[in-house]
Amino acid sequence: MKLLVCIKQVPDLESRFKPDSEGVWYSESDLAWRMNEYDEFAVEQAVQLREKLGETVELTVLSIGPDRVVEAIKKALAMGCDNAVHIQDPVAAAKDPWQIASVIAVYAKDKGYDLIFTGMQSQDRGSAQVGVMVAEQLGYSSCTTLVGFEYDSGVVTAKRELEGGIKGVVKMKTPALVTCQLGLNVPRYPTLPNIMKSKKKEIITLAVSDLLTAEPLAATISFYSPTKKGGGLVLEGEVASLVDQVIGILKEKTSVLR
Amino acid sequence: MIKDESTIKLMIDTVSSYVKDRLIPIEEECAENDSIPHEIIDEIRDLGLFGLSIPEEYGGLGLTLEEEMLVVFELCQASPIFRSVIGTNVGIGALGIVLDGTEEQKLKYLPKLASGELIGSFALTEPEAGSDAASLRSTALRDGDDYIINGTKRFITNAPEAGIFTVFARTDSENKGAGGISAFLVEKGTPGLSLGKNEKKMGQWGGHVCDVNFDDCRVPVSAIIGGKEGQGFKTAMKTLDKSRTHIAAVCVGASDRIIKEALSYAVERKQFSKPISDFQLIQAMLADSKAEAYAARSMVLETARKYDLKKNISTESSCCKLFASETVCKIADRAVQILGGSGYIRDYAVERFYRDVRLFRLYEGTSQIQQLIIARNMIKEIN
Amino acid sequence: MKTLLIGEYREGKLLESTYELLGFASQLGAETAFLLVANEFQLPAYDGMLYLADVDICGEYNPDLHKKLVLDAVKRENPDYIVFLHSSYGWDLAPRVAASLKVAQISEIIAIVPGGFEVGSCNAKMRRTVKPNGTKAVLTIQAGAFPSERTGTSPKVQKLTAESTGALEFLGYEAAEKKDVDLGKAEVIVSAGRGIGKKDNVPVIAALAKALGGEVGASRPVVDAGWVEHSHQVGTTGQTVSPKLYVACGISGAIQHLAGMKKSDFIIAINKDKDAPIGEVADVLVVADVLQFVPALTQKLQNV
Repeated sequence: MKLLVCIKQVPDLESRFKPDSEGVWYSESDLAWRMNEYDEFAVEQAVQLREKLGETVELTVLSIGPDRVVEAIKKALAMGCDNAVHIQDPVAAAKDPWQIASVIAVYAKDKGYDLIFTGMQSQDRGSAQVGVMVAEQLGYSSCTTLVGFEYDSGVVTAKRELEGGIKGVVKMKTPALVTCQLGLNVPRYPTLPNIMKSKKKEIITLAVSDLLTAEPLAATISFYSPTKKGGGLVLEGEVASLVDQVIGILKEKTSVLR
Repeated sequence: MIKDESTIKLMIDTVSSYVKDRLIPIEEECAENDSIPHEIIDEIRDLGLFGLSIPEEYGGLGLTLEEEMLVVFELCQASPIFRSVIGTNVGIGALGIVLDGTEEQKLKYLPKLASGELIGSFALTEPEAGSDAASLRSTALRDGDDYIINGTKRFITNAPEAGIFTVFARTDSENKGAGGISAFLVEKGTPGLSLGKNEKKMGQWGGHVCDVNFDDCRVPVSAIIGGKEGQGFKTAMKTLDKSRTHIAAVCVGASDRIIKEALSYAVERKQFSKPISDFQLIQAMLADSKAEAYAARSMVLETARKYDLKKNISTESSCCKLFASETVCKIADRAVQILGGSGYIRDYAVERFYRDVRLFRLYEGTSQIQQLIIARNMIKEIN
Repeated sequence: MKTLLIGEYREGKLLESTYELLGFASQLGAETAFLLVANEFQLPAYDGMLYLADVDICGEYNPDLHKKLVLDAVKRENPDYIVFLHSSYGWDLAPRVAASLKVAQISEIIAIVPGGFEVGSCNAKMRRTVKPNGTKAVLTIQAGAFPSERTGTSPKVQKLTAESTGALEFLGYEAAEKKDVDLGKAEVIVSAGRGIGKKDNVPVIAALAKALGGEVGASRPVVDAGWVEHSHQVGTTGQTVSPKLYVACGISGAIQHLAGMKKSDFIIAINKDKDAPIGEVADVLVVADVLQFVPALTQKLQNV
């Protein structure tokens, strides 16, 4: 059985973002990089399945991007993936979700993956498209926003998170792709001994030019900070005076103190 | 020496997320209860932190000293009591075996120390022999194929948790100096070994220290580290040469955390209608702390690189320990000053760190002992 | 310009958010047609063309079959834009349609701006303007970003049907965890975010809620970390609330949270970061440390 988990490396979202020189994406200077949070849930789920099914399963982690994404790949290997594919692309950020999905699909086409895991979306772009588009291009069944996952002899039972805390329960046969939501599991910390061991795991590097066949379908024309709506009152200063001001506002503008 | 940049980066990343997610949120509670929950110890064990410095062939991670320092900087962003859990296995509690143990001793203890299954502890200090360690009074008398150990060891870190003690005792009653001392490996549960009650300390609540008493405690000849009498003091000094750099790294990590606390307070706290960080006298304190912490960090890394090149670091490690421990105390003092009244209140981490870091100028050689080592080495070199 | 709007129907009900699609189309100044998988006794307040597929046959969640229905309606209407809500239904179905048509998808639109559509990025801290390269595109719009609109009462109904491939089987819904608190009925909600630092500080927030006679709410990270029960979660995956007063303590304001509380009558946010996105919806943003300000406010309120 073959499993694939697709991950993206994203900036630490606590960072301050500035537009790049062309003004269409963020400038990469002074950013710390992490594995996309949603993808950590995907890796964890894939690793749990691999551990459950044992040695006959091969779990590959894939990431597209410049050399720095190897750090995210190594984390996934240390978490328990068996081997990795790095699709080397210095300008991955300039590609639209359709192109990224196509690159993955072209790579995965003849590999016979039974199950593909992705995050539900990336934290930086947040388009929530790539996973489903990969499945569509491969002709796989797919299901998004998983908060529950079970696998038994070729059948996936998934719980999708819907609005208002309701869940939708879905069953599908492999080959299939699932996109993972926060809360699906508790991603493990890669332990130090496993980080050492993962040094020996194979990372295959492929050039994106060998896999890219699709033209972009959408373009970002600008990237910027949100304009403040204004109107809202901003209070700063000493705590004691802030407290008095807020109580004054509560009395004047709301009925809660009456 | 960094063997593999991306591997060490990943380790730092793991430790840093763990510290942020798990340790910092619980540190106040641990201090309050004077204990670290079992599940945290288990997690630290699972992460592999006990094995940082133990060679790979004995089940450890075999990090170079420079790599170890980088991990320790990160771990010590949280209260020093968590470092203390692994501290003896990474440092003094295991180093004696790593440096001078027989192959048999290494195979028997190191894998368990590396995994954290066994906690190591270092029993040198005595009620009457602190800085003057060579004057220790504990005895180990040969009796057939055994030694019988008698004496009291004081302020022994991690003793309540320890499964194996590195114990220093005099085997040659004729030799009152360093040459008469041997190092023994004594397992917990050995008849005659008993623990005093936990000391009530100024700080580092949650980390434990107590007396270890030996009362006709019988150990086999094979328990001597390295299998040879009279080598114990050398083992102790070699151990301390390396572990002093470790303590210095602990001070650097704590310095960074304290500066972070002080800085975030300074930019939020407003007086005279502006953040106090706008005031130059506050800025001066922040800047001095930053510069000194950076100097300590640079010294520690430089010394570690020298050690990794197999050079003698006796002088350098003492310089690191002296400077970093004095520095962290100054930084903690300034942080209390920046926080003003709040810095004296338990609700703020700075108050706790101020008490916690005071220990660093005392153990594994006081600042004054470091000064003596440095000066003696200097004088020895020109003679 | 023409739009095909894809409405939503769940657990036997037309979802109210469906009308936001009409609000979007009207801002765009576009003609509309609707596609809905529902039943014919519950039609939207809309007087244009409605393609209706029978939910009893097509199911509420059956993405492969629903995709076929959308493609059928696209063929009939030839719209410029096929518009979904960015919801668990929309973000699941939209990329399938975009991939089949090989057209661009623009996700989670928050505004129509010159040259394209505005979307959030980097956890709502930044914005992008995106435009499709071709003339046709699939769009998903953020819940709550556009006003609801109703345009009449009786749509012109055209029935559609499609065959299921059976690749995916929907087994049913699992109810939300039982609530020990009904935030929907609370007049005052004081919510805790990641900014409170740790579980031990939840009582600080609870004390303010008590002083104001309200309930405790929480953002998703706080619930995920196990600091507060899920029944207190405010946001798209928790509860949507509109109390008289909403106090957000240490909540930066992820879109998912804002969507769940921005209709509150009055919003006070307490945050160290003056630039936190919560400031966009707050009537009052108090720039302060939650752990200093909240206890001080609680104490003062107890003395009022």
